[in-house]
Amino acid sequence: MDGKVIVVTSGKGGVGKTTITASIGAALAVQGKRVAIVDMDIGLRNLDVVMGLENRIVFNIVDIIQGKCKIKQAAIKDRRIDNLFLIPASQSDDKDVIKPENMVWLTNKLRKEFDITLLDCPAGIEQGFKNSIAAADEALVVCTPEVSAVRDADRIIGLLYAQSITPKLIVNRIVPKMVENGDMLSHEDVVDVLSIDLIGLIEMDEKVVVATNTGTPLILQEDSKAGMALQRIAMRLDGHPDLPVENPMIQKSFWKKLGSKFSRKN
Amino acid sequence: MKFNTLLKKLMNKNESKDIAKKRLKFALLTDKLEIKADTLADLQRDLVEVISRYFEIDRDSIQIDIKRSEESSALIFNTPIISAISARSGREIPAA
Repeated sequence: MDGKVIVVTSGKGGVGKTTITASIGAALAVQGKRVAIVDMDIGLRNLDVVMGLENRIVFNIVDIIQGKCKIKQAAIKDRRIDNLFLIPASQSDDKDVIKPENMVWLTNKLRKEFDITLLDCPAGIEQGFKNSIAAADEALVVCTPEVSAVRDADRIIGLLYAQSITPKLIVNRIVPKMVENGDMLSHEDVVDVLSIDLIGLIEMDEKVVVATNTGTPLILQEDSKAGMALQRIAMRLDGHPDLPVENPMIQKSFWKKLGSKFSRKN
Repeated sequence: MKFNTLLKKLMNKNESKDIAKKRLKFALLTDKLEIKADTLADLQRDLVEVISRYFEIDRDSIQIDIKRSEESSALIFNTPIISAISARSGREIPAA
């Protein structure tokens, strides 16, 4: 059976797409799937350093498309997780060297070899975005609870619908304390504005920085809240669509819990 | 509702996330109404063509504009009419 192709996109840059793509890919591979992660950001590759595979790059996606190598030669096997492969972006080429039809060709080949192919889409709505969505069956839209990120997500969602893709939403970098104080949009607010289905909520987590520093998979970090949220997103993508979405909460002391019990009537 | 939130509400203090949500909704609304620069010009040309079948109009004093308010948006088309073109004046109104 052919594998599926999922694009991870956001519109706005710096909302956590690359980390989320790498982590979901790692989690899916740990769950037993054969996974390829493709860095679609030609000229500005990043996924290789996030995954800690930057020293192993020989060929890249442009080499595959130009027929200079086979997919097997370009796909880098992860150091720690079996069945997880990275197809790196080219750092020197112009982003216009790849066309949407090249991506359709490439992903059709990847579908034969991998259960799931994740495309890490670059920020923006230009060539890299068009290439990524041309080949995708499903889409995950990432946004943070900020006005700018939600606005860009809305634009991206519109463009995905135009391609007959119904995306699912990930809200990243939630700070529960700020949400409680009314100083950050809650995930309910974001869902209300964007009106699409939620697939996961990820709390702001310093462990993400540590994982990226060392190039180790976030999901293998011990008690990382973001890592656990990402594992649950991977489960929802792979056979457990009804796994409930957990709402990030503040760890409360006894007195605060008592206080919130009394004020709950409103 | 949490105690802090309740306190803020009682003190009539606006939560910043409410401002964020309101601004966001308005931005998305206006984003969807945004049109390309030549769309209005194309529309004006087509409108003039249609109206000219029925009325003689002053093509130079036509105004076309989109008016936006927080509640709604409206397309405003304003043209002075010089005279009606009747069937008797020799010009035929084309069948639909």
